[in-house]
Amino acid sequence: MSNNIYLPSLATVKEVRPETPDTSTFVVTFDDPTLRESFTYRPGQFAELSIFGVGECPIGIASSPTWKGFLEFCVRAVGTVSNAIHDLEVGDKVGVRGPLGNSWPYEEIRGKDLLFIGGGIGLPPLRSLIRYVLDKRDDYGAVEIVYGARSPADLVYKNELKEWDERPDVDFHVTVDVGDETWDGPVGFVPPFLKQINPSPKNKVAFTCGPPIMIKLVVQALEEMGYADADIVTTLEMKMKCGVGKCGRCNIGDKYICRDGPVFSFEQLRKIPGALEV
Amino acid sequence: MQDKLQEVVRKLLAEGAVEYFIGYCQSSQPHRAVPCFVSDESEVEKLVWGPLCGQNLSKYVLRANELEGKVGILLKGCDTRAIVELIKQHQIERDKIVAIGVPCQGQVDGRKLEKALGVSLEQVTNVEDAGDGFLVTVGEETKKVPKEEVLLDKCFRCKHPYAFPYDVTLGEVVPFTIEADVGEYAAVEELEALPIEERRAFWRKQFERCIRCNACREACYACYCKECLFDRKMPRWLAAPPLLSENEMYHLIRAVHLAGRCIDCGECQRVCPVNIPLGSLYRKIQKDVAELFDYEAGMEMDTVPPLVNFELDDQDPFL
Amino acid sequence: MDRKKISKSDLGQWLDKIAEEYELIGPAEEDEVVQFRPVKSSSELTLDYANSLLPPKSLFFPPVEELFSYQKRGEEIKLEQTKPLEKDRVVVGIRKCDVESLLLLDKVFCEDLVDAAYKERRDRTALIGLACPTPPRAACFCTSFDIDPLSPEGTDILLRDVGEAYLVDVATEKGQELVGLAGKLFSKLTKKEAEELQPPPVDMPKMDLSELGEKLEGMWEDPLWDKLSLPCLGCGICTYVCPTCHCFDIADVGSTSDGVRYRCWDSCMYKDFALMTSGVNPRATKAERARNRYFHKFSTFPSRYGTGYACVGCGRCLVHCPGGVEITEVMQEILAKEGAGE
Repeated sequence: MSNNIYLPSLATVKEVRPETPDTSTFVVTFDDPTLRESFTYRPGQFAELSIFGVGECPIGIASSPTWKGFLEFCVRAVGTVSNAIHDLEVGDKVGVRGPLGNSWPYEEIRGKDLLFIGGGIGLPPLRSLIRYVLDKRDDYGAVEIVYGARSPADLVYKNELKEWDERPDVDFHVTVDVGDETWDGPVGFVPPFLKQINPSPKNKVAFTCGPPIMIKLVVQALEEMGYADADIVTTLEMKMKCGVGKCGRCNIGDKYICRDGPVFSFEQLRKIPGALEV
Repeated sequence: MQDKLQEVVRKLLAEGAVEYFIGYCQSSQPHRAVPCFVSDESEVEKLVWGPLCGQNLSKYVLRANELEGKVGILLKGCDTRAIVELIKQHQIERDKIVAIGVPCQGQVDGRKLEKALGVSLEQVTNVEDAGDGFLVTVGEETKKVPKEEVLLDKCFRCKHPYAFPYDVTLGEVVPFTIEADVGEYAAVEELEALPIEERRAFWRKQFERCIRCNACREACYACYCKECLFDRKMPRWLAAPPLLSENEMYHLIRAVHLAGRCIDCGECQRVCPVNIPLGSLYRKIQKDVAELFDYEAGMEMDTVPPLVNFELDDQDPFL
Repeated sequence: MDRKKISKSDLGQWLDKIAEEYELIGPAEEDEVVQFRPVKSSSELTLDYANSLLPPKSLFFPPVEELFSYQKRGEEIKLEQTKPLEKDRVVVGIRKCDVESLLLLDKVFCEDLVDAAYKERRDRTALIGLACPTPPRAACFCTSFDIDPLSPEGTDILLRDVGEAYLVDVATEKGQELVGLAGKLFSKLTKKEAEELQPPPVDMPKMDLSELGEKLEGMWEDPLWDKLSLPCLGCGICTYVCPTCHCFDIADVGSTSDGVRYRCWDSCMYKDFALMTSGVNPRATKAERARNRYFHKFSTFPSRYGTGYACVGCGRCLVHCPGGVEITEVMQEILAKEGAGE
């Protein structure tokens, strides 16, 4: 990042991969060659993407920092900026301000067994950690992934899901709320699906990201299964602007989600009044 | 008058006729009365009435829409114009309100009082109506200040619907009159007399000072839209930063949106922290509406505001 | 502490000397509103004033600020940063409450990721404070926060009115430099003067706020917030006139090929301040927004930055609230609650 914390760096769109009817992955590389080489980040961090003349939008970095020279963002077209991002074509420029925020506790979880529970567009922030872990496979224990979306078309990273399903060192489960004629897998919401799978809490850390209602029910289910709050980790979403903990918008308690988060354990969240109402 | 008011409110609360009563009470600053929401008989003694109650409380009745019961409110004659319009514009039902009318002999403009006295407003500890003037107490001294020096602009042209259906009145509510050489649209005509370049320069200077705090909008009874045009993000009509270009458009658009609905209560000017003379701007709109449509907002229960109405035989010379 | 004296009639001359080298900024009245703005000569200043409408934080964290401009030509985009300051500045006439507010804002903008523009403005601006008269404005309550309106702490120079002259307390090297621009106008105090010329203490009722934060923390579900939401119009004036408020928005103005990215003030009291594009609003009710504001001032700001309460008792919000909400009354209500241990 430059000396000016509000100044984005220019990057070029190298690839656009549609994921679902309203979501696409954008692969970008920094224009400045030194930055392209030197830019580092930790899994779980995010960046503010700029479309000049429209504005900025905070998006989790979905690629793994073990991949050099480019960044991947998975963006759903829902607001002014994200819709403008969806108008981008290969060769167009964007601004990237980052990396921002804290990260998944990727060092503290070494040697542990990992459980990832994602819903819909909640998968991309998890995916940064999943891919990091898979690239450093020996540092981590068992990897179990539970993922669900509204329908088969709404599943993100469809090709990767297949890859994870086929890997012998990953336990992969996927469900959809409503199936269709192409779908012959499980049907049902993620929380009951998770309860069916019933992964043991022993030596385990659970990571979850998805719609607020899903997170609420997933955490309930995990607690019923014996997971401690300190071992349930999530990444929160709030309206953000500055991304650097100054504009006062994304606060819960005395924490700024853009600076002290977006990754928090439930042990931390339970101590902050109003955090779990978010 | 104040005792009578408290008696009436006590009765309303005791009977459970209202969930709470909206009136004025003394603030910790003796020179102004502030809005007060009384829900318990023990709080009734806080209610005051006097020449420092110029604020129009009408917008607060909209809170009644979220309540099961009614709210009571103290209304000067001029304030009822807002209630009339809120009912006509389908924002509240008459039966959600218990309206207590109070006779008013003019209200003090704090800024004018400060100028007339030459001391800071907070040194004023009491203001009382004394017929042709106000008795103003500053420290130990009480002096009489002629009303025409310190009245709110709107008091010089006091008007309100005679036939407003109050539930209770604390006396006869009639328009206040004063012999003063101030024309109906004096401030507007002064500006209209300026050549257009000067007029533009005048307003630009004012709008440059605007910080877009939106207080004028929040204080205005007629700005009740659940989502204000200026808050829409898709599309975004005005950029957030308070640049002159955006500020100009904010004020001009709001003025046009108020056409046919502005009741001249002066809240916008009173609340503006940077002293923009919004009163003149809105008075100009009122003048135009009066001339074009022969209509003044809030004066009659059974007329429709001209800009939200159409008749099949309306003239449309621009088509 | 280096204490000197300058006569009131000479003050203007000194300030004009300063205006030759620096951008001189001070309270000036226009359309009956006193604001801090640059002046070409000391005759434009209004030093006989209570306090400015907008707090002088606007000189360091402006209501509107250009971050950078952008230009798109074909495939190429150029970003050009905007310089925060042209000339070094001297602010004269700032009150101690506002000086203290800058020390609080420094925590937000100059720590962790540093806001370079704010920091540059702070580093390149000297402060000549003006001690408050007695009695102070009725709305003032700075002493409740242990702020001393007569202490030069935080300023480069503090001027204290003693009738025909000002006592001049020079607190820093920068202050010495400024005094040196017209050294002849200043005189040392005689022993007699040093004893006798004392500005009167600034008397105001002082609240005991030691339990404020603790009591507030137990009030997350208190009905006080619903009560406050009644008179509150959600207009945001309190946050705009507050010297310690620092919420802001970032917005692009222009087309996609030419324009500027601005930073501008925003208010947590607005309904859509924290509204997410998905439609979820973590502070959807006025009561929640009011609660957030008071918690921020008296609990979460102090806990995050390790400071005292984030209010300096200037009274601006109290004076300007159209709904008559008074922060001092709210504080009294909080203090009147039963404590955790009772």
